[in-house]
Amino acid sequence: MALRDQLRTIVVDDMSTSRGLITQALEGFGLQQIETAVDGQSALQKIATWPVHLVISDMNMPGMNGLQLLHSLRTTPQTKGVGFLLITGKADREIIEYGKKLGMNNFVKKPFQPDQLRVAIEAIVGRL
Amino acid sequence: MSDPMAEIKASFFIECDELLESLQDGLQLMDEGEADSETVNVVFRAVHSIKGGAGAFGLDDLVKFAHRFETAMDDVRSDKLEATHDVLKLFFQCGDILADLVREARENEPHDPSRTAQVLTEIDSLLGSSAEDEDEEEVEFQPMTLSLDLPGIDADPIPASEPSYTIVFEPENELYSLGNEPLFLLRALRELGDMHVTCETKSLPDLDQLSAEIGTMIWTIQLTTSEGEAAIKEVFDFVDGICRLEITENSPAMASLLPDLDLAPDLAPELPPLPMPAAAENPSVETPFVAPEKSSPPSPPATDAKPAQATPSQDTKPAPKASGAATAPRATVRVDLHRIDRLVNLVGEIVINQAMLTQSVEEAGLPPNSTVRTGLEEFLQLTRDIQESVMMIRAQPVKSLFQRMGRIVRESSADIGKDVRLKTEGENTEVDKTVIERLADPLTHMIRNAVDHGLESNAEREASGKSAAGNVHLTAMHRSGRVVIEVSDDGAGINREKVHQIAVEKGLVPPELQLTDTEIDNLLFLPGFSTAKEVSNLSGRGVGMDVVRSAIQALGGRISITSERGKGTTFSISLPLTLAVLDGMIISVAKETLVVPLNSILETLTLTPSDLLEFGPETHVVNIRNTFVPLLDLGAELGYREPLSDYSGTVVLLIMQEDGSRAAVVVDAIEDQRQVVIKGLQDSYGRVPGIAAATILGDGKIALILDPVDLITQSSGRTRPMSNLEKIAG
Repeated sequence: MALRDQLRTIVVDDMSTSRGLITQALEGFGLQQIETAVDGQSALQKIATWPVHLVISDMNMPGMNGLQLLHSLRTTPQTKGVGFLLITGKADREIIEYGKKLGMNNFVKKPFQPDQLRVAIEAIVGRL
Repeated sequence: MSDPMAEIKASFFIECDELLESLQDGLQLMDEGEADSETVNVVFRAVHSIKGGAGAFGLDDLVKFAHRFETAMDDVRSDKLEATHDVLKLFFQCGDILADLVREARENEPHDPSRTAQVLTEIDSLLGSSAEDEDEEEVEFQPMTLSLDLPGIDADPIPASEPSYTIVFEPENELYSLGNEPLFLLRALRELGDMHVTCETKSLPDLDQLSAEIGTMIWTIQLTTSEGEAAIKEVFDFVDGICRLEITENSPAMASLLPDLDLAPDLAPELPPLPMPAAAENPSVETPFVAPEKSSPPSPPATDAKPAQATPSQDTKPAPKASGAATAPRATVRVDLHRIDRLVNLVGEIVINQAMLTQSVEEAGLPPNSTVRTGLEEFLQLTRDIQESVMMIRAQPVKSLFQRMGRIVRESSADIGKDVRLKTEGENTEVDKTVIERLADPLTHMIRNAVDHGLESNAEREASGKSAAGNVHLTAMHRSGRVVIEVSDDGAGINREKVHQIAVEKGLVPPELQLTDTEIDNLLFLPGFSTAKEVSNLSGRGVGMDVVRSAIQALGGRISITSERGKGTTFSISLPLTLAVLDGMIISVAKETLVVPLNSILETLTLTPSDLLEFGPETHVVNIRNTFVPLLDLGAELGYREPLSDYSGTVVLLIMQEDGSRAAVVVDAIEDQRQVVIKGLQDSYGRVPGIAAATILGDGKIALILDPVDLITQSSGRTRPMSNLEKIAG
């Protein structure tokens, strides 16, 4: 079984357009197990019943933002080891430095091409 | 749309409309000084999200503009910029341009950069910088590789995570007496996952003591599901309180090991302050999030946790792929309008079909308590329920329409240099989607008229002791089965002398004719009437109030005016709730069958000779509880027959008009009262005065649906035979 069959990914974004675009790209890479969530809170709830290997999350969301979600994941024993890829419209120093501190695995700046997303994911989990 | 990209793009534009709506709402709140930091965030996020999506589809004009707007909003968000009235005025303009850009992108229209350029310059001066100054620095970042703990990817599967539950279900007697069926509940439960059921029959009495309404059985269910406890509880929603229900989680699913998820926000204070002031504030307070029930204590890792491979469903189909809507807190589905229209048409067919069926049963002469009749009764009720539900799908709040009017007021008042405030009310009033779409043009014209003609100039207003800024009110409400939309201004009111004079000058009315105030007001609706001395920028575009009126009439609506000198003018539009079905009274006149909308009938009565009074040479009035109401002979009005020689003993319908006045309409007989499907006549016959539409009756015959108010307005009022009078066309 290849990695892409087993890798469980959750896409977190409040905008259905973005969720659709990312999910479609992931399906294009051959990923078989993809879930989506509309915000950090529901992502955490989903991950609790459906553990994942990789969280792909938008930065700017209502309620919890992407980095707050990361913080929640990292401070919970069961999820502290998951991969975290941040999708952000703004990649300024504060966000990236702060992400680094929290243990962000990688980030992609919007807008991005599917290939850029693939490269960013593979940098975390290895060849898909 | 088979191209998935095109599909996502289409949904992006729908999402944009929603975002633009919340943007407008937010700006409005900010302008009213009622915005908190979350409102500012919502506005920011709306712009940000539009930009993000637009970037993905390479909509460069949109991205560029949204980016500058976003930067400005970001400054407001971080208190670098104060949202003064002037700043907000600019933001409203930005919102309008953003909406234009979205529309242009959707329609593939070319973009005119001149308007954007001007606003962009204003943003630049506001921010003290331009787009070129923004330079994002490259930040060093080394991706962190994850050593995935997939135990031997090719060998061991991921440990199963599907929790299993033990459910004990013991119905109480009431559950049975209320007609619930445990079997259905168990079946619903089986939908959730693998299930094993055992039934406890120890307390089951002997056969002769068995009663259908006394519960003696207890079921114990082992259920493996990923749907969570809430989903299980949902199955038992309807029997809540009338059964004993115990749900215990068995397996060491992560859910039970995780700390309570609703604690997560509490972690936030531990965070060092984030660069975004917005984010740190009580995240998720507004997220409608239900924490998982804590009924199950964390159990030790069980050894019997099944590997994922063992669950066939996981092997054969990929993990549930959420389509977005499924995960959204508001469970909504986007449906193609054609599908809904098809449904509406089918419901119309059912209504006709049901009417025919009723007629057949009627003719078969079955006894009143026959099963066919009771079945038909239920069918009737169900049809009505289905029809109402379907109409509710088509109903939309008028909010989007009202927001567009906000823009019209902003732009038109700026064009002619008047300060105008628009106040809207009843934005959540729901109206049929088609009505909303087709109301946009007439309403736009009415709003422009209010700003242009209705309101005085700022100086004139101040001179007459009013506030310099004029007010336009846009209100929507439900009133007796119809939707009423009012556009009112606090301007000078209609100058009736001038209106009359213009109408005479244009030859619209003979100079010697004495007109009442209402009649003069209604001159505004005559084709070719325009009071503007010079054709201003706004009105006088060749579209007059006559076009507005015919647009409203085409929707089955009516428009009326009330005005008071010095105080203002109110235009009131009254519309049917739906364009598909109405409750009608089936009447007959001169052997013709007609339908009168039920909501226009106040009461029905039979005339006695003492009720009737002659009024002038041609007309009668009816004394109804000491008020006099004009009598109208429907048969004569429609040209079916001559007026009757004696009206005593005839049936009349008392009809209420828009202005509150009444008329008594003579019919030959009242046949029935039922729902009828509206079939428009516009396409074939254009507008026929007094006739709203047609319908198909139970016997397959076609009947006309009357517009009684229009009929009364157009009527001759002739209730006495006079052969030398011109006959009304029939």
